[in-house]
Amino acid sequence: MRQASSLHRDIFRAPGEVGTAFLGWGASWWRVFHFGALALVMALSPATYDKENRAVTAKQIYFTAWQVLPWFTVLAALLSMVLIRIVVVSAQSYGLSQYALQMVVRVLVLELIPLSAALFVALRSGAAINTEVTLMHIRGDFDAMQRAGVDPLRRELVPRVIGSAVSVVALTAVSGVIALLLAYLGVYGFSPWGLPGYTRTIGHVFDLQVSMGLALKTLLFGLAVAVIPITSSLEMPREVRLAPVAVLRGMVRLFLVLVVIEGASLAVKYV
Amino acid sequence: MPPEPQSAPPIPHVEFKAAVLLALTLALIAGFLGYVMYARGVFESKQRLVLIADDSEGAKVGMDMTFSGFPIGRVQRIELAEDGKARILIDVPQKDARWLRTSTVFTMERGLVGDVRIRAYTGVLDDPPLPDGATRPVLRGDASAEIPRLVATTRALLENLERMTGASSSLSESLANVQTFTERMKGRYGALAGVLGSEDNAKKVITAIDRTNALLASVGEVSQKLDRILAKTDERVFGATGVMDETQQTIAQLNVLLRDARESLKKVDAVLAEAQAIGANTRAATVDLAALRAEVEASLRKVAHLVDEINRKWPFARDTELKLP
Repeated sequence: MRQASSLHRDIFRAPGEVGTAFLGWGASWWRVFHFGALALVMALSPATYDKENRAVTAKQIYFTAWQVLPWFTVLAALLSMVLIRIVVVSAQSYGLSQYALQMVVRVLVLELIPLSAALFVALRSGAAINTEVTLMHIRGDFDAMQRAGVDPLRRELVPRVIGSAVSVVALTAVSGVIALLLAYLGVYGFSPWGLPGYTRTIGHVFDLQVSMGLALKTLLFGLAVAVIPITSSLEMPREVRLAPVAVLRGMVRLFLVLVVIEGASLAVKYV
Repeated sequence: MPPEPQSAPPIPHVEFKAAVLLALTLALIAGFLGYVMYARGVFESKQRLVLIADDSEGAKVGMDMTFSGFPIGRVQRIELAEDGKARILIDVPQKDARWLRTSTVFTMERGLVGDVRIRAYTGVLDDPPLPDGATRPVLRGDASAEIPRLVATTRALLENLERMTGASSSLSESLANVQTFTERMKGRYGALAGVLGSEDNAKKVITAIDRTNALLASVGEVSQKLDRILAKTDERVFGATGVMDETQQTIAQLNVLLRDARESLKKVDAVLAEAQAIGANTRAATVDLAALRAEVEASLRKVAHLVDEINRKWPFARDTELKLP
């Protein structure tokens, strides 16, 4: 009987809760976009880069990009080599070797390398940023900064966004170029005579839409990797016990956004 | 390892490192952009070629046009013309345009796997080059469009084959006939009985052959006789005392006769020459002859007169007429 009345109560309460949850969800996403736009504008305005901010931004770039670049490059090169080998060998066995290079470039350079760079930066720096900002938020560091006349957004948050974006773009660019070189070697070997055909294929694959799509996707990945964890940290109540929830929610949301961006990019290109 | 900018020890040349990283990234991106633009032929001067197709299905913007397997042009735009045909606009770099001549044929083919391919075939490379903006028809070949027709044909073929190999088919009847035939061939008269249908007929044929053999034998004898006759004739005609020999002798004699005749003619010739000389003398003599004649006539008249006198006195003869030489 008690169970039934509880169920009855739940049913009547549910629509209100769903509505509230939906509103909260929408507001949360709105904050993400708002903060993203704000960070982008600030990153692009020269006024942001005073001496203090330059130092902080340089430090962020150093931590998120410089430190990981060699390791990520080696890792990406290994992965690329394996994938190129698989694609070339299987294409040859089906007698479709003329499509091997195009497939390698499309799969590796356009899709896998940007996504894995974004995931790598998200795992390494995104999680760190999420935790750090959550702790700073709970400790009240931002309020203290504001009282001291320093804009915490400009001093602490935007440099992190810039660092992540630069990291994702740099990792994608370096690994992409290395993957292109490896693709040439994988398909043509150490012969310079494949260069005209290779150039032709690259010109074929990277038309205007694909190139712009790649640039936009990489940039969105870079922004998402910092913006989503920071927003997720800032919207949590200032309680230490909720810190893991903030990190968890931020990372899940980040992962979701990365998948959505990748899916949308694929849909635009191939559907 | 969360980055702790505030508590971390100072990093040497952090701004320089960040600048290097940014510069490297920008350089890579700029270099790659330049390479892609070069690969897409942004820096090349091009000429336009318009291909007219009945159907542009499978043709895509950005696809290559190949010549001898080498890509020499790229589809820029595909549009529907006023007459309902597809116009495929292709950009050909100037350096590759020399492969295209006025006699070049363009084809659009679809293989079983992969894209449609646009190909150019130039038979005569000495023809005048294709002008910029030239419009050419494109021939279509579609391997996959052939498949339904191929399947239909194959099915018809298989049905025919099935009909041919059925129990009541003409092929199996033919085979049965062949079997009867070969059975007959196994009989006493062999293949002949098979061909003629029965042993009686075969027998007749064999009899006919026997008679023919006999006939041939008598013909052989006749021919032997004929041989002999021919030998005799040969002997008579061409032998030592044959007709031919005598004829030869006759001809020799005739030859001698002719030689004699020639000699006689020569003599006649001499006689004639002499006669001519005599003629000449005679002409000279004739002048004197008139006087002589007058004298002779006078003498004759005297003689006649004398004779008449005698006759009158002595009738010895009745013919009193005198003839002059």
